[in-house]
Amino acid sequence: MPTGIKLENLSFSYSRGKKVLKNVTVEIQPGERFGIIGPSGAGKSTLLLHLNGILSGEGTVQIGETIVNKESIADVRRKVGLVFQNPDDQLFNPTVEEDIAFGPLNFGLNGETVSERVREALQAMNLTGFEKLTSHHLSLGERKRVALATVLAMRPEVIALDEPFSNLDPAMVLQLMKILKGLDATLVLVSQSILPIVACCDRMAILKEGEIVAVGPPKQLAANVELMRSCGLDLSFYREIFKEIFPG
Amino acid sequence: MKHDFLDKYSNLDSPIHRLDPRVKILSVFLAIVIIVSEPLGELFHFVFYFVIIALLVGLSRVPLKYLLVRCLIVSPFIVMAAAFLPLSVKLSPELQPDYSGYSVYHASLTILFKAYSAVILLVLLTSTEKFQRLLLGIRKLKMPRLVGVISALMYRYIFLLTDEVLKTTRARESRTPGKLKKSKIKVYGNQMAMVFIRSWERAHRVYDAMLSRGFHGEFPDTRSLRLSGSDVFVAIIFVGILLVIRLGI
Repeated sequence: MPTGIKLENLSFSYSRGKKVLKNVTVEIQPGERFGIIGPSGAGKSTLLLHLNGILSGEGTVQIGETIVNKESIADVRRKVGLVFQNPDDQLFNPTVEEDIAFGPLNFGLNGETVSERVREALQAMNLTGFEKLTSHHLSLGERKRVALATVLAMRPEVIALDEPFSNLDPAMVLQLMKILKGLDATLVLVSQSILPIVACCDRMAILKEGEIVAVGPPKQLAANVELMRSCGLDLSFYREIFKEIFPG
Repeated sequence: MKHDFLDKYSNLDSPIHRLDPRVKILSVFLAIVIIVSEPLGELFHFVFYFVIIALLVGLSRVPLKYLLVRCLIVSPFIVMAAAFLPLSVKLSPELQPDYSGYSVYHASLTILFKAYSAVILLVLLTSTEKFQRLLLGIRKLKMPRLVGVISALMYRYIFLLTDEVLKTTRARESRTPGKLKKSKIKVYGNQMAMVFIRSWERAHRVYDAMLSRGFHGEFPDTRSLRLSGSDVFVAIIFVGILLVIRLGI
């Protein structure tokens, strides 16, 4: 059952240095596919880590009715699944099966249920038959899908994905977009690959230097050349390239 | 990440591989205690110990070359320890203990043999069992939880370190057409520093990924171990033979 997310005045700095997040306030509806774009160093990944309680800054992070804090951390991690940017950071077990089972086992599910979850997650990611394979022998696209499967097996209400489309070929991007669109969870997608975000998200936010500068329908925001240019995300050069590739 | 750093041959099938990990851990532990407790200079017993160890190696199907290479890694320490004894006696004869019936060189050889026997047995143990199952065995033997968790994390982080070494070495070599122009020590030093920083950061990310999936200090496992009567029988026979040799019965 998808759940909503509420961030209120969220600020964070890694050390005494400058703030990476500044008073971020945003509300994401249950079941919504919400994209966050922004230039490098804007604080996108840092924001994502707050959803799962890995990082905690000033302000409030609320997942459904649960406010993220030390007491609620186990509950929050059950609700929010994080897919990391580099699948190699996420996959550390000898086999695909063990990696997918890691989360459900940590939450105390019994062996039979875990096996069922592993099977379902693999099926959802078109990875049936990969159970006994070693993750590092797979292609990047496959590793990314395994990483997503590790989270799916936990059946989270919210799935937060960090740069899901990076380093994927166009066919894989399309496949991943289809998979994401079919998931029954609230999705938060953080990416610099703006086009897939525009194509598959219901709403999008632009993060610049730790601040949310705009929230709205993805196509509308992406079409705002001035706004995008001011955030270092200008897409207009794509138009020129596409015109050359597909004249008329 | 490569996952066969310690347990490269754990996927083989042999009578040794099929034994319960707990039986293997306890047998190896007892074997080492028995061998190490041999009095200095008792070289003759080692002929029997090495025959038994050779039999185990043969049964396990772990390549001898692999075992010997592993032994080479620890050789500097073992050889140094063994060489230290005659050297210290030569330098300070007044320190010479009472070696009744055998020379200091015999004593030195005993140290060498004891150490190599222990190393071969340990390498055999880790080569014939998946590391995760060894950890499970250790846990089932009621070893402190923290030791198990530290061992498991250490095992995982070895791969991160190896990974980073490989990546930085490739990066260095790709920009080194001929011989290194800069001082080698400086280049290698810089690389090593980067390896540690990158590994630390990567380890942090891996740990974050584990936390995000509910990791709370203990690795979950649904796999259970089945101890059979024949496993226990094999262990008793093995330890019993060693004990007979040790006591010279």
